[in-house]
Amino acid sequence: MKKRVLAIFLVMCGLMMVVAVVFADLKKGYYRPAELGSLRQTALIELSPDSKYQVSAYPVPGADLVPGDGRQEVQTYCNTCHSPIYVTMQPPLPAATWEAEVNKMNKAYGAAIPEDTTQKIVRYLQAHYTVENRTP
Amino acid sequence: MSVADRSFSRRGIFKALGVMTGGITLGRWLGSSAVAAQEPVQTKAIETFTGPSANPHWNSVGPYVAEPQKVPLILLTDRPVQLETPRHYFRTAFTPNEAFYVRWHLEGIPNTVDLKDWKLQIEGNVNNPLALSLPELMQKFKPVSLAAVNQCSGNSRSRLQPRVPGGQWGNGAMGNAMWTGVRLRELLEVAGVKSGSLQVQFQGLETGQGPKGLGSNLFLKSLDVGNPVLDECIVAYLMNGEPLPMLNGFPVRLVVPGYFATYWTKSLTWIRVLNSPDENFWMKTAYRIPDTPRGNTNPEDMKAGRVKTVPIERLPVRSFLIWPDGTSKIPAGMNIRLQGIAFSGFGRVNRVEVSEDGGKTWLPAELGEDHGPYSFRTWGMSWTAKSQGRHTLAVRATDEKGSVQPDEPVWNAGGYLWNMIERQEIVVGKAS
Repeated sequence: MKKRVLAIFLVMCGLMMVVAVVFADLKKGYYRPAELGSLRQTALIELSPDSKYQVSAYPVPGADLVPGDGRQEVQTYCNTCHSPIYVTMQPPLPAATWEAEVNKMNKAYGAAIPEDTTQKIVRYLQAHYTVENRTP
Repeated sequence: MSVADRSFSRRGIFKALGVMTGGITLGRWLGSSAVAAQEPVQTKAIETFTGPSANPHWNSVGPYVAEPQKVPLILLTDRPVQLETPRHYFRTAFTPNEAFYVRWHLEGIPNTVDLKDWKLQIEGNVNNPLALSLPELMQKFKPVSLAAVNQCSGNSRSRLQPRVPGGQWGNGAMGNAMWTGVRLRELLEVAGVKSGSLQVQFQGLETGQGPKGLGSNLFLKSLDVGNPVLDECIVAYLMNGEPLPMLNGFPVRLVVPGYFATYWTKSLTWIRVLNSPDENFWMKTAYRIPDTPRGNTNPEDMKAGRVKTVPIERLPVRSFLIWPDGTSKIPAGMNIRLQGIAFSGFGRVNRVEVSEDGGKTWLPAELGEDHGPYSFRTWGMSWTAKSQGRHTLAVRATDEKGSVQPDEPVWNAGGYLWNMIERQEIVVGKAS
């Protein structure tokens, strides 16, 4: 009986060592703050079929969440898995789509955002990122 | 004054004289207006987002960003990382590693991998589980090389109408590389797949902050044991003859020729043979397309739950005009060379055609070198704009299965499978 316990213990130790070895020096998930867009794309210059040939320079962007009630909650909760650029990258979306997206984060991805905070986040996105109200 | 100094200064005098006489001559020949300072071109930043209409640009609209081992690429998202390859990198059949697009799903992606500890593990429903180091992969198995296009399922998602949420890619979520590595089949044979096995599951090093068992914790993809594509899969440790950039899946990634990139697991570390169907989020819910021609449906049918879906698989035929790209004008009468690429996940592209009359008539382009059925195929065509004005060029490809690019859009909730004929406006200016 004692031998069997010892054997199980040794096998467990062995397994743990294998796991430890595989992950010994795997470093991941390191990100650093950075200035957005020192190398921004430029818009097409207005081309007209005349005789002038010109090129334009490359300017600098910046993307941040619109100030408003709920912004802090988006930054706190959504930021666990992804940065807020996942919001600003989207095209203007219907209000119902924003609600569905936040619900997906809770249900499919297990975000577990408290119910009242979820509502606040949905309202914030619907107040600033739909066709009716999104500003450049 | 040394001899060298003297000769330098003498050379300098000649140079100065040359510049002066050249300048005077040029000024006299051209007259003052052509070389005089013009009104500055009014420049403004590209828009920070597009929509609700379709993204009118070839690429997405994000700023450039410099990531490790990469030239400046177009930023879609920073964490997890999604970067798009700018259009001009597609002039060649093989996309440079440093310009190759990037798409991760979860934020925990490798910064460091210690090859002393790293092992590719083949486990699950097998007779002999394996743990292979990189040297073992390189030395114990015959290396094979294959050119194959890696295209994100959501490439060109920003074209869809109505727009759908997700990574708002332009056309640059694709790339072609020469992949070198070990045949997946050989690894599975050595491990000995047990009878009754259903699928082979692939897991890389990326992990997320979500709870265990959910898609936000692990990214897992599977292919059926009987899928013939397994015979063509490679576990690649070289990309264009170079180690893979960390952001493209160092130390090894799965290559699934002809299939969308969702199956090309980056930093592949676990190959797991399953005896029950993989029902994880990334197979059962995500990366699925309507089981309809072209994967096409509409928001109404989708909302009503009338759409049966299946996992996405092969790349539909596509072609692109890479240059001229519409950023500058072409002088009328100048003979130029249209350049582009084409590919299909169903076999070789054997025809590329260009139309300048909106698709009424098509002229054949010349195809570049054949690097195999799953590679980009470059194409070119001599073209002269006879008159000043705005010309629209359309390009379409046909693959060896006879599939030709359609001139109708596609719509599905995931924003997948866009392969409509591409168009480019060319502004032709007066030449005198």
